[in-house]
Amino acid sequence: MPKLKILLLTLISALILLASLFFGQNTINPFDLRGAEKDILFSIRLPRVIVAFLMGSALGVSGAVLQGMLRNPLADPYILGISSGAALAAAFGLLTGSYLLGQLSIPFSAFLGASVVSVLVGAFGWKKGRLLPERLLLAGVGLSFLFYALLMLLISMSSYEGLRRAILWIFGDLSLADWSLIPYGLVFIIAGMYISVCRSKALNALMLGDDLAHSLGFSAHRERLLFFISVALMTSASVSLGGTIGFIGLLVPHIVRFLIGADNRIVIPVCAVSGGAFLCGADLIGRSIAPPMEIPSGIITAVVGSPYFLYLLRKRDVLGS
Amino acid sequence: MSSDHNQTILELAGTGFRYSGNKPLIKDLSLSVANGEFIGLLGANGSGKSTILKLAGGLLKPSEGDIKLWGRKLESYSNRDRAKLLCYLPQMLDISVPFKVRELVSMGLYPYDIPPEISVHEALDLVGLLDKSGSYLANLSGGEKRRAFIAMTLLQGAGLLLLDEPLANLDIKYQLEIHRLLKDLKDTKNISVIMALHDINMALQFEKVMLIKEGRILGIGEPENVLKKDLLKEAFDVNIEVRKQNGGGTWLSYWESS
Repeated sequence: MPKLKILLLTLISALILLASLFFGQNTINPFDLRGAEKDILFSIRLPRVIVAFLMGSALGVSGAVLQGMLRNPLADPYILGISSGAALAAAFGLLTGSYLLGQLSIPFSAFLGASVVSVLVGAFGWKKGRLLPERLLLAGVGLSFLFYALLMLLISMSSYEGLRRAILWIFGDLSLADWSLIPYGLVFIIAGMYISVCRSKALNALMLGDDLAHSLGFSAHRERLLFFISVALMTSASVSLGGTIGFIGLLVPHIVRFLIGADNRIVIPVCAVSGGAFLCGADLIGRSIAPPMEIPSGIITAVVGSPYFLYLLRKRDVLGS
Repeated sequence: MSSDHNQTILELAGTGFRYSGNKPLIKDLSLSVANGEFIGLLGANGSGKSTILKLAGGLLKPSEGDIKLWGRKLESYSNRDRAKLLCYLPQMLDISVPFKVRELVSMGLYPYDIPPEISVHEALDLVGLLDKSGSYLANLSGGEKRRAFIAMTLLQGAGLLLLDEPLANLDIKYQLEIHRLLKDLKDTKNISVIMALHDINMALQFEKVMLIKEGRILGIGEPENVLKKDLLKEAFDVNIEVRKQNGGGTWLSYWESS
């Protein structure tokens, strides 16, 4: 039965991807590509859909990994504060108009901010030669508060145009997606996913507790460090591509586990596909509701996602068993 | 791995353990466990039962002395190789994990590239959970949950099971059920079991009992030779006597010190 559900999820994801390519503010007929339509498809839609898919995949997988390694069903990629560093750095660039690296300035700043916070959180979470889950969580929450406070300070001192862009970015702005962003985002996200997929058995074992993971032949401390690196890579790359899009990392792993079970050898790849499709779908809705205005994808994911999350909560105890 | 009876599989020689800067929890402990032995590790709360099992399982590193597994230093094994030889089940098992019974049990195959002879189906059959294969772990009774984890260890194929209070918080029916299951597995598969306990009645069911206090062995051997009034008094600080009943069976009497 899970095989059928996996097939169905993949099929739905493929349909969403196709719909995001051909529908939106302008509908494109795939069988009659000409002039402007061809340009829109290859210069705007395709890179945007690829960026959305990469971001959604990274967030979905990061959520599944974090919920497993921290043994906390409420964990999501932003709980470690990685997004707060990215948001502060990106907003600094947007608000001060610093574009030293041209078009890549904002993604680069965001990646740098995310990486700095990842290292800080890792350093605070490290004690006696190991990463301790509780310390990681507390360090992430503490640093998030600090960096968001600094972000608010920055916003309160800024000009109108920069402010609007920064707020859009904070809620997830895919309108700037283009081909130049994709290669480096792809490298970090694929690297993070590779670690998570290769270590998916260890993630299952960590969900049973450190002692049982040890008994099954894994070093819990080493595995947790690897997963932390994997999540830091994926989340940093994701926020740098298009801002902080919430809820995917929390919701998608729960939906996937609800449908196909908790085995991370299956959950991780399915989260990658479903997370990617989920964000593509949210982006499609965001740019189709009230054109030419675009509603940030982060708002759509939260509005669509939260009722479904509450439905899951009622249907089954998603927070535990 | 040879399965000769009487072959020493676990050896602790002058083993001690302390957390840095603290007083020792285990002192100069020497112990030898042979293939197919079924040992009850008995002691009061805080006597060092869990610490001994964690040392033997490689979860803690001894401060002094050596631990050998099948004649080789325990720390010389890789994590995976060690997992094929010994299995440790902690006292607190997280039974809220969202796995189905079959998923949990199949994790016993993780240390292997080429799966061992026993299948998930057989392991579930051996512990009597075949009909619960598709159930969520959280929906099982206390005894069934323990049996599911034991099925996982069977699949792991380890010759030595270190079980930390597997009977804690179970009704007497389930305690006897788990004990019987482990005894059967020991008899049929020649597995060695060391099980931490604090129930003297249950310790009477074992072939061999090790009584400990403050990290040192007070007595080791057959229950009737170890569970004596003076040793039990020292271990539990209560006057306890094991009495035999006419027609078989034993009962405990205990009283306040005068």
